[in-house]
Amino acid sequence: MTELTENSWRLSVRRRIPARREVVYEAWIDPLGIREWMCPGDTVSAEARLDVRVGGSYRIVMKGKDRDHVHTGIYQVVDAPSKLVFTWTQEDDEVPMLVTVEFLARGDETELVLTHERLPGADVMKRYERGWGQIAEKFGAYLAGRIRTAGTPGFKK
Amino acid sequence: MFNHMVEYAQEQLNRVFSAVADPTRRAILRALARNPATITQIAKPFPVSLNAISKHVMVLEGAGLIRREIQGREHLCRLEPRPLRDATAWLDHYRQFWDVRLDALESYVARKVKGATRKGGDHDRAH
Repeated sequence: MTELTENSWRLSVRRRIPARREVVYEAWIDPLGIREWMCPGDTVSAEARLDVRVGGSYRIVMKGKDRDHVHTGIYQVVDAPSKLVFTWTQEDDEVPMLVTVEFLARGDETELVLTHERLPGADVMKRYERGWGQIAEKFGAYLAGRIRTAGTPGFKK
Repeated sequence: MFNHMVEYAQEQLNRVFSAVADPTRRAILRALARNPATITQIAKPFPVSLNAISKHVMVLEGAGLIRREIQGREHLCRLEPRPLRDATAWLDHYRQFWDVRLDALESYVARKVKGATRKGGDHDRAH
């Protein structure tokens, strides 16, 4: 049974990587690195254009055998070498999602924690979309709200 | 292909995600997971009007999370778990997406480190 909390719409992947976090972080902000590791399995190749700064955008095209998958987004947090937060939009899924990648130092190794989440009400936000700034702003408000109301039932007047 | 399924189910999925983003609606679903109930029964524990609860139920119904049966004068609401399973499939899709890529990231980083160590090794020998 799916647990009915916002947390169900968010997934986390945790990895221990035997390399220093500076090296692992670099692999995420280097287009050449992204091109190599973002195209596993049936992806033939990948192209990446990254403007790694807060408010900067990225575009990653994963070329498959039958079709290309375009992923775009805006960096929300750029904190080298410990954290990256960016929105994640897929051409066939126009609702933006949020990806947070944390690089935790574990001696000479790195614990990578990736969180992929769906913004609640993102489709509503899209309907009234007035640019990315507003989405980021609303997402900030949503996060603040979630922290405030965590665990308590919502009472509407 | 899974992608077609994703596209097809996208709108439905958006409704599910929006519907469960609200804590009152989540509480309603939790209650219905235990037992089917009428709107009046659902509304009882909440300090809001019957009308407000009725609106929440309509949102949940629109997301396909609740099925309504008319029994006499009352409407009995039942939890419909299928859309939640679709949402879980969505999560599984992305889990797999990242698992595969993080495997690739790991080997990419391993190659980098190996290259750097080789250089570092030469450097050490020079001392």
